[in-house]
Amino acid sequence: MKLPKIKPAELPAKGAAWADDRLAAAGPVRRMMNKVFPDHWSFLLGEIALYSFIVLLLTGTFLTLFFDPSMTEVVYDGSYAPLRGVEMSQAYASSLDISFDVRGGLIMRQIHHWAALLFMAAIVVHMLRVFFTGAFRRPRELNWIIGIGLLLMGLAEGFAGYSIPDDALSGTGLRIVNAIILSIPLVGSWLAFAVFGGEFPGHAIVPRLYIAHVLIIPGVLVALISAHMALLVKQKHTQWPGRGHTEQNVVGHRMVPGFAAKAGGFFMMVFAMLALLGGWFQINPIWLFGPYKGEVVSAGSQPDFYVGWLDGSTRLWPAWDITAFGYTIPAVFWPTVVLPGVVFTIAGLWPFIEARFIGDRAHHNLLQRPRDVPWRTALGVAAVTFMTVLLISGGNDIIAEKFNISLNAMTWAGRIALIAGPPLAYFLTHRICLGLQQHDRMVLAHGVETGTIKRLPHGEFIEVHQPVIGGNGHEGDGGHGSSAAEIEASYKQIPVPKKMNKFGAGGPATRGFFRSIEEPDAPEPSTAVATRSEDGDRQA
Amino acid sequence: MNLELNGKRKERLRRFAVLLLALMTLGGLYTFFAPSSAAQDEAESKRVAIQEGKELFEQGCISCHGRGAEGVDDRGPSLVGVGPASVEFQVSTGRMPLPRQEAQAERKPSSYSASEIAALAAYVDSLGGGPKIPDGDLRGDVVLGGELFRLGCASCHGFAANGGALSGGKFAPSLVKSSDREIYAAMLTGPQNMPRFGDNQITPDEKKAIVAYVQSMKADKDPGGAGLGRTGPVPEGLVVFLVGIGGLLVATLWIAGKS
Amino acid sequence: MSNNPSSAQTPGTALDDSSVTQLDLVREGARRDGVEIAHYRPRFNVDSPKSRAEKRIERTIALCFLLTGVAALGFVAIFAFWEWKYQPGAGADKWFTPLLGTAMAVALLGIGFGLIIWHKKLMPEEVAIQDRHDGASSDDDRVLTGATFANLATEAGIKRRPLLKGAIAFGLAPVGLMAVAPLGALVKDPGNKLYTTGFTKGVRLVRLDGSPVRPDDIAAGGIETVFPGIPGGTTNEYADSPTLLIHLRQADSAKVRVPAKYADFHYGSYYAYSKICTHAGCPASLYEQQTQRLLCPCHQSQFDVLRGCKPTFGPATRALPQLPISVDSQGFFIATSDYKEPIGPAFWERSA
Repeated sequence: MKLPKIKPAELPAKGAAWADDRLAAAGPVRRMMNKVFPDHWSFLLGEIALYSFIVLLLTGTFLTLFFDPSMTEVVYDGSYAPLRGVEMSQAYASSLDISFDVRGGLIMRQIHHWAALLFMAAIVVHMLRVFFTGAFRRPRELNWIIGIGLLLMGLAEGFAGYSIPDDALSGTGLRIVNAIILSIPLVGSWLAFAVFGGEFPGHAIVPRLYIAHVLIIPGVLVALISAHMALLVKQKHTQWPGRGHTEQNVVGHRMVPGFAAKAGGFFMMVFAMLALLGGWFQINPIWLFGPYKGEVVSAGSQPDFYVGWLDGSTRLWPAWDITAFGYTIPAVFWPTVVLPGVVFTIAGLWPFIEARFIGDRAHHNLLQRPRDVPWRTALGVAAVTFMTVLLISGGNDIIAEKFNISLNAMTWAGRIALIAGPPLAYFLTHRICLGLQQHDRMVLAHGVETGTIKRLPHGEFIEVHQPVIGGNGHEGDGGHGSSAAEIEASYKQIPVPKKMNKFGAGGPATRGFFRSIEEPDAPEPSTAVATRSEDGDRQA
Repeated sequence: MNLELNGKRKERLRRFAVLLLALMTLGGLYTFFAPSSAAQDEAESKRVAIQEGKELFEQGCISCHGRGAEGVDDRGPSLVGVGPASVEFQVSTGRMPLPRQEAQAERKPSSYSASEIAALAAYVDSLGGGPKIPDGDLRGDVVLGGELFRLGCASCHGFAANGGALSGGKFAPSLVKSSDREIYAAMLTGPQNMPRFGDNQITPDEKKAIVAYVQSMKADKDPGGAGLGRTGPVPEGLVVFLVGIGGLLVATLWIAGKS
Repeated sequence: MSNNPSSAQTPGTALDDSSVTQLDLVREGARRDGVEIAHYRPRFNVDSPKSRAEKRIERTIALCFLLTGVAALGFVAIFAFWEWKYQPGAGADKWFTPLLGTAMAVALLGIGFGLIIWHKKLMPEEVAIQDRHDGASSDDDRVLTGATFANLATEAGIKRRPLLKGAIAFGLAPVGLMAVAPLGALVKDPGNKLYTTGFTKGVRLVRLDGSPVRPDDIAAGGIETVFPGIPGGTTNEYADSPTLLIHLRQADSAKVRVPAKYADFHYGSYYAYSKICTHAGCPASLYEQQTQRLLCPCHQSQFDVLRGCKPTFGPATRALPQLPISVDSQGFFIATSDYKEPIGPAFWERSA
């Protein structure tokens, strides 16, 4: 039999035809490739979280090959001599093995842990971007809620991961969680016994958290991330206002090649950052903590930062037990159950709260500059201040020790800052936003300072101002003699050029890093500069 | 023949006797002078040391610890019975003398030389017993030491022995600079707010084990890169925002920037 | 600004026209997908010979990918051959993990930089504009889909058949319960476990190694963590039992003031308090022997040892429970009973 002749050059076309005969995918695939994504650095923050998650899946899979979540007591016999002969759980022993006896295990563990921190940090930063630019407004309320769900699930996933190595630090964390569950009114003690399979610590919690950590929560995360992306694709990305940018279009790069190249490259960079962190910064040295024992604790026991704010709230909360009729609501209930409940509820419902508050039911695809919505920006900064005070208080013993401050003073400073900080932050941010707006309006009215001083015939010195005309979407002549109404009309809530090089005054860039690799173009004066109106410069 | 022999013998005997006499004289002199002078020297040097220590005490310590080291209310405790180990620990780590009354004495370069410290220790020793200065090899079983350290020491000094905060501005100091002798003496004497761990409770072997664990942990290189001060999640959180998010923000600016 | 040929702009470009370029087809495809390529400018003229600048960028990208290859091979070599194991006395190797991380990062950065430079410097500059088709579906779709759903109910005839409605409600609702019921396997009766520890009358106080404790074992101003001297008493089976035995100095002991009901709980100047913080359960074992305070390192609750370990600072609300102790005929410490109140963090059923 004679084999058919294969021409490699024809293979892709033939393969595509084979698939399309069966799937009729040519149209949808092209539509996907032609999808337009706007281009702005702040739109890449959520991608950091997505790529960290992929790294988490990769490294996590490696770790499952060696980790054994059993709480059975064994005698350690691995390479780490200072613990050899010590009784510990199988879970902790296998975590030590990953660190000291599995080739490359330590860097995988470290990349995994750094990726978890970066995942959460990127979610927070991405969420702040979405909040401060109003990207959560209709029609994207649902994706905001999914995002809050991702933050919550990430927190739970991270805490489970922190807990399963069963070292003294993770056991200390679990003991506090046990106290938190116990504090829930009515059902606390029954719930705690159900979760831990009996009295703390029992033998069930690590295997249970393990299955939650590697199957249940990742499953939920994958589902939520898929929904988050699907909604993004369906609704298309928001964009900044600017020339040609409208509520009805998206201006940017097509998915292939532009967006794909950038996203692929950025994925590599996020992964590389995690490899560097995992290689160069030691994280969670479980061998120093030792196995968990009920009587063991270390000074400076903290959770990871995404739980740290709850540790801070617990430290700052005053000693208020409520006892009545023979029942108790422990002090620990308010800062660890009620506070996060309130925070996440407000955060989740924020798009609806805001829409109701200002009566805005419109569709929005254009973002807002933070300065143009001073009250929201100020509110956001106040909330960030609140959370930051809690977070700092979560490490107040470390700060007290390193900077030689009284621990009690740190606690009181935290309590005061928690109450006084947010209003102060609100006030300052509001003023700064209004000031920035004012500066934009001033530039629109008077033009950009050129630094050129001119002497007028009658001896007066003036600085020549470059009127902002036509450039960057600002129409009309914002130069001299503008009335307040005209200035207001020219204020388009988009960036106003404030430096002369925005008008081409800096001259064309020359390619080359150390030396020029091409003949520079002949400098040509930009039109804006050429049409400088001398009269308009007289504005004081 | 006999005479001759006798004469020769006599000669030999005489020589032998002279030699013996010389040796005996020398030995006698030695036995007479040397040991007694050594004992005398020791007693004498001890007396001198105590005297010197007393003088040093009356210059640098008396204002707080009082005449005869009996203590002054609200200024300094009595040193009767605290023992030389405590004196050596406090003075050699620079904690004493205290420049001013504050929450806690801090480690700093000692203001006394080794011989002066020995003199002070001798003086306080002369006031009444107390733990002696530990010496010899103070390293024991690392594994046992680790268990005891995590149970009894880590709660204040931290899992990596780099210190921790206590109430109201006090703190458990870092052991990063501590020598074997200092760690041992601290357990034995309970300086400042540290509890005392007598030899009945933590035996000398166990103390040596703890010393060995602390020193081996300090000497161990961090296998996973920079140790971040071995301080736990606080510096880790800082790094992920400053290095991780910070570095990637720079990347986003480049990627989304104009080419 | 854009140099798009007008042919691609008109609807219905003849795809088989031989004069149509590949780019025209791309534009036509984009147009049909609602995308207008508004600005398109190749960065280099592909018809003329490569310029110095173009060659230089090419070389840079090539270097990036080559670097990736070298670093990836480096990673494999380090992974396979580096001596990395922990050596007693010397510690683990300090460079293995950083080198692996560096090699991996360089390899990945090579791909990342290569891709992005390729896109930013070599591929044509373009701005594409896509229409949004935002908002609700068309009215027709709404009406038709709504009817389709409503028809479901009509066809099933729920309104006509109230019996089925009731049957579904009462018959199928328990299925939900059935689905949840297996979780009941998790339920464990707390019983009196939260009220008891391993200590009972006559149980010795033992150290971590199981040895009993005599009064003269602990120096004045010293502490010892003790456990119930029962099988498993020092393990995590009795994580609620660790107790701090404190030997106060004579002078401090004289200053102790505790409520009358605890008056005989101590033995001389020896006091035993639960090590488990009444706030969140961490061992509150940071004992300050001069200021006589116990500090919990988790949330900074502070307890006054001379006042029955009442909380003086921080979020804890209740004193650390005191264990009544005595000494048996052989001179070892024993508990004279269990704690008189539940140790550790509070819970709903716990009466104040």
